[in-house]
Formats: sequence, C-alpha cells, structure tokens
Amino acid sequence: MFRQTIRAVSKVNRVNAVRTYAEAASSLKLSFSMPHDTIFTNKEVTQVNVPALSGDMGILANHVPIVEQLKPGVVEILEGSNSSKFFISGGFVSVLPDSKISITSVEAFPLDAFDKSSVKTLLAEAQKNAASSDELVAAEASIEVEVLEALNTALP
Amino acid sequence: MYRIGAQQIARVSSAKARNYATLREIEMRLKSIKNIEKITKTMKIVASTRLGKAQKAMTSSRVYQESDLDFFKIAETQLPEGSDRTLIIAITSDKGLCGSIHSQMGKKVRSTIAEYPNADIAAIGDKTKVQVLRSNADKLVMAFNGVGKETPSFNEASLIVDELVKLGTYDKVVVLYNKFTSSVSFDPSAAEIYSEAAIDASSKLAVFDIEDDNGTTETLARIALTNAIFAGMAEGYASEISARRNAMDNASKNAGDMINKYSILYNRTRQAVITNELVDIITGASSLD
Repeated sequence: MFRQTIRAVSKVNRVNAVRTYAEAASSLKLSFSMPHDTIFTNKEVTQVNVPALSGDMGILANHVPIVEQLKPGVVEILEGSNSSKFFISGGFVSVLPDSKISITSVEAFPLDAFDKSSVKTLLAEAQKNAASSDELVAAEASIEVEVLEALNTALP
Repeated sequence: MYRIGAQQIARVSSAKARNYATLREIEMRLKSIKNIEKITKTMKIVASTRLGKAQKAMTSSRVYQESDLDFFKIAETQLPEGSDRTLIIAITSDKGLCGSIHSQMGKKVRSTIAEYPNADIAAIGDKTKVQVLRSNADKLVMAFNGVGKETPSFNEASLIVDELVKLGTYDKVVVLYNKFTSSVSFDPSAAEIYSEAAIDASSKLAVFDIEDDNGTTETLARIALTNAIFAGMAEGYASEISARRNAMDNASKNAGDMINKYSILYNRTRQAVITNELVDIITGASSLD
C-alpha cells in the first residue's frame, strides 16, 4: 500500500521535473496596450519581436523576465504562421515570470495603415526643421526624424 | 413730494400683504424653475453621452497601468520608510455642479496631510486648489487648471509630469483621485508612486534582467508617475461625469416636483382672483338695484 503511494508520488515528481516539448512550446500571453486603447489582452501568441533600445529582440515562451525600453519601430506578433505588424512610437516591454508579456506604447498602428509617400514628405520636412536655429523646433524635429526614419525603413 | 413717496411705500407694503398680487410672482418663479429644469436636463443628457466615452478611457487606462503594477508586485517594490519629502498630487477638475465629488477630495487631501505633515501639495484642477488654499495655503507648491473638460489624454498627463519633475525629487509621491466604483458611487483613493530609488531598492529586482545603462529604472519611475496621474485623471473624470449625471438627474426631478407644486398654487390663486373679482362685480351690480 505504502509502496504504491510512494511510487505514485515519485511518478508525479518525475513528470514535473522533466520539461516536455509541449510545455516549452506553450504560448506567451500577450497584453498590448495604449493609454487610450487596448489592442490585446492576454492573447496567446507564439513569438513577439520588439524593437528594444538595446537592439531588436524576439521573445518566445519561458523567456527570462525582463524590462526593456522600446524605441520607435515595428512590433511583430506571430501566432502560429500568422503574423501581424504594428508600428509603435516607443514604450516598454516587460516579460513576467509566468510567460506573460506586456507591451505598452503611447501610440501604435498596424503597419499597413501608413502611407509611404506621405511618410517621405513628412520626413523631408522634419529633416529641414531639424537644422532650425530655434532649439525647441530643432529638438522636436529631431524626434520626428527618428520616428519617421524608423517608419520609412519599416515600410515595404 | 415726500408725502407721495411715503404713500407709495405704504401701498407697496399693503400690496404684499394681499394674496392676489403674488400671482405675478408665482408665474415668474414658475417660469424660472422651468428654465432651470431645461438646463439641468440638458446637462444630464450631455453627461450621459460623455459617460460612455469616459468609462472606455478609464478601462483602457487601467489596462495600461496594469503592466506597471504587475512589475512592481513581482519585484516587491516598497515605499521607503520614514521619508520626509512627500508630494501629494490631488486630482479633480475645474467645474462644479457634480455633487460632493470635489468636497470629498478636499476631505481626503486634509486627511492625507494629517498623515504626512511635511508634505507639499500639487493640485490638478481649480476645485482642489481652492480647497487647499483655504486650509493649507502654505503647502501648495504647484497647481494646474484647464484639465478635465474633455476625456483626459496621456499627452496632458505627460505635460503635467514635465512640470512636476521641476519641483525636484521626492522620496514619496501620493496621488489622490476619485476612484470610479460604480455609476452611483465613487471612492476618494490614494495611489502611492515608487521613486527611482525605491525601484532600485526593490528586494526582488534581480528576478528581472534589466540593462541599467539605458536609464531604464529612471524612465520606468517617470512612466509610472505619468501612468498613475493619467489613470487618476481618467478615473476622476469618469466619476465626475457620472456624479454630475446623478446630480443633474436629481435636480431635474426636484425641479419637476416644484413645477407641479407651483402650477397647482398658480391655478388656485388665479381661480381665487377670478372668484374675488366676480364677487366684486356681482356685489356692485346688486347694490345698483
């Protein structure tokens, strides 16, 4: 009787200890939010690629917990073979210990919502303003240039 | 000349004693109550239409703030003990006519000051500013107005934080706002904001892989403050709008009651005047016979 129980217990232990393939492939729970809108809450996804300040990174399930700042760029969300791309204006990504990932950004739009030609005209204007003698205008324009350049390279 | 004046006064005072002369007064009062009812009804409708938008903004701001709060919970960030530089940020708006929402905030501010006697206060919205000026004018260090007319935006919150950081660093920041609990109730609450030092000192910060050369914790502290103010503004706005809707609903109901009362009084008085005039005419006619 006792032996049986012990065996059962040890079996349970073994199952827990061995990280199975299915577990490793378990999905990330993504929350993607803006101050004024929420794009995803606890959505199961396979992989998320984010433009972190320290370099672009891809995040899979069971990633080590991190907090990273994001620069303007493309967030790519992969669910199985589907991928959706959003352009964000910068923000934060945090991965929590239980494979929860949350992306917060002040603004985010689907990549196909942008028009390449208007991005180019805006970029030209911003580059002109960045050379302005007015410090405030120049500072604002240089931020614009950074965002627009990222957007320009992201667009096909 | 003087005698005429005195006579007129005498006439006015005797006219007041008589009942019929008030017919005009009742009519005027009835008219003004009807106008007030129109205004309160319109304000109620405006508030009702804004409420949906305000609630949506509040829900998304809650979700947005959640990722911060999750992080602080896992990192076990704690407020520093026995800190002396405390900043209290009280959030309301500029406009009244919404029940007790601003005075409740005033009470909350006073009770928080009792808790942190050395605290400085920053007021967002004219209504708290006035209340703080009345009770603790020496503690008010900064005040903002012009917010809370429309649904609050993150941009507004960022601009406010830009000004707030000019005050220097505080060990402890407490944001006071009206938390929206349901469409009929709100709850003045406090949210404590972690400073950069508090985040760096969190006991389980090592759980996270943070590259500190980018100034991540500094930005995180700043964003957390902005988020708290934005969420507070969104909650406060939703509470205010729903409080205003309720206040205006009650006001319209009361106005309706008064209109009923005064219409009855008006009709009765009119009838009495007619009856009296008839009595006069009939008496006069019969005395001629």
